[in-house]
Amino acid sequence: MNILAIETATAVCAIGLRTTDGFELGWVVDEDRHHTEVLTSSIARALAQLDLRARDLDRVVVDRGPGLFTGLRVGLATALGLSEGTGCSLVAVTSLELLAHGAHEEGTRGTLVCCVDGRRGEVFIQNFRLDDEVTALTSASVAVPRAVVIEWATNGAPVTFTGDGVERYLRDFAAVPNGTLEHQSVPSIAAALRLGATREPVAQVEPMYLREADAVANFSTRQRS
Amino acid sequence: MVLALAIETSCDDTAASVVDAQLHVHSSVIESSIDQHRAFGGVVPELAGRAHLTTIAPVVRRALLDAGLDPHAPAIDVIAVTSGPGLVGSLLIGLSAAKAYALAWDVPFVGVNHLEGHLFAPLLERPDLEWPIVTLLVSGGHSMIVLQHGPGQHEVLGETIDDAAGEAYDKVARWLGLAYPGGPEIDRLAATGTPGTLKLPVSMTGDDYDFSFSGLKTAVVRATEKNPEVAVADVAASFQAAVSEQLLRKLRRTLVANPALRAVALAGGVAANSALRRGVEELASEFGVVALLPSLSMCTDNAAMIAAAGLYRFAHNGPSDFALSARPNWALAEVS
Ligand SMILES: [Zn+2]
Repeated sequence: MNILAIETATAVCAIGLRTTDGFELGWVVDEDRHHTEVLTSSIARALAQLDLRARDLDRVVVDRGPGLFTGLRVGLATALGLSEGTGCSLVAVTSLELLAHGAHEEGTRGTLVCCVDGRRGEVFIQNFRLDDEVTALTSASVAVPRAVVIEWATNGAPVTFTGDGVERYLRDFAAVPNGTLEHQSVPSIAAALRLGATREPVAQVEPMYLREADAVANFSTRQRS
Repeated sequence: MVLALAIETSCDDTAASVVDAQLHVHSSVIESSIDQHRAFGGVVPELAGRAHLTTIAPVVRRALLDAGLDPHAPAIDVIAVTSGPGLVGSLLIGLSAAKAYALAWDVPFVGVNHLEGHLFAPLLERPDLEWPIVTLLVSGGHSMIVLQHGPGQHEVLGETIDDAAGEAYDKVARWLGLAYPGGPEIDRLAATGTPGTLKLPVSMTGDDYDFSFSGLKTAVVRATEKNPEVAVADVAASFQAAVSEQLLRKLRRTLVANPALRAVALAGGVAANSALRRGVEELASEFGVVALLPSLSMCTDNAAMIAAAGLYRFAHNGPSDFALSARPNWALAEVS
């Protein structure tokens, strides 16, 4: 199965390709939120590099968030266009589970708290247990970093923190005496390829926003043009 | 036969259309998220963006199926997509999807200016029209007079210095407690009212082609406060007459100054306004030129007009690069 993975939930934009012949490549194509400019051209280059055309794709895997809204829109619209255009299947994964599976592959074990930077002083967060498998302990939610830090410092149990939300609020998270900071901070494209190969395809991908649109909009409106 | 697929997502409408190089429209699909914005009295960018993401793939699929094409391998030669101006979060969805379809089908794509799209709308219904023409482009976001020497050859003569005409309609409608969008509501009420009941100032009397509507809105507020007995229908009729008067006066100036003009066209959402359509018809017959009044579905945002502009731009400027980004403030004057 030829699989393309697209990850645009953070400031980093990454793609991965795994071919039927077993080749697997992952690229970080941009690190500074230029998703619109780099994504499609990078996919075209990656396909060419493996001597593939878009219509040879059997599946597109996309990170549906939570994360940066602008990046998610670009990634999701691109994944929709590619799967619709070629007729290949579409699979969705979340940025938080990609962080967890990425850490698991790196050998992290125990309790893992994944934090994606949500801007506006908040992080998108989900807790996992990593042993032989990766198990979600909570569902994804929005939290204030300080509250997360206090919760774990009070709890006292050993815990590992990972994600660009941890990097953003490094000083807060470093203050947890029983905490370890993981350095892999972006959702894993290798994990996206692996999870995407086994998941059931979906007809329509729902982005994981975790915030109401009107809260984001702050009642600002524009004129129709 | 050269076939274009066009995608338009610059504001609250998700639209897709298939048009051929002879400008025959094979399909045109529009899905609006306007119902979600009504309560806010204007388009909420975040809501619009979320709606586009949900509707983009089904809308494109339907446009292809309606045109009798296979959605997974359509015989499309070029993809046209609005890349500006508009809401950036909305533009990005259409643009990203268009690039992905282009990659999927291995066809070129071209970024189109939304305003130039509006200028091409009259051509879809009158491909035989003679040049030069003048177009009054009026919508919720824009109000301008554009001289067109030929397809794609435009010169902006004047534009609004403050609010767009449609914006003034929405603001006055809100003041009168009418539903959003305000244009159709005021137009409907004005039909039963008497223009001139409310004394409103005549503005922008200078010898230029610019508009101003924000003072008019303020004048309506003051005059209704001072004369609370005036019926809403009369307020609507008075306001509508004042807006049309200013727009038509500048249009008349253009016709006087450019005797070579062969037609006068209306474009944009406010082109659906009955007073304006009547006024343009009268002006056209007075000057002996053709009145180009596109059907209502061609006045408001649609993807067929983007296809028409895209076919022209692709033929003259070639394809766009995958690195193309959205241009939320892309001015018509920068298009060539
Ligand atoms: Zn428009």
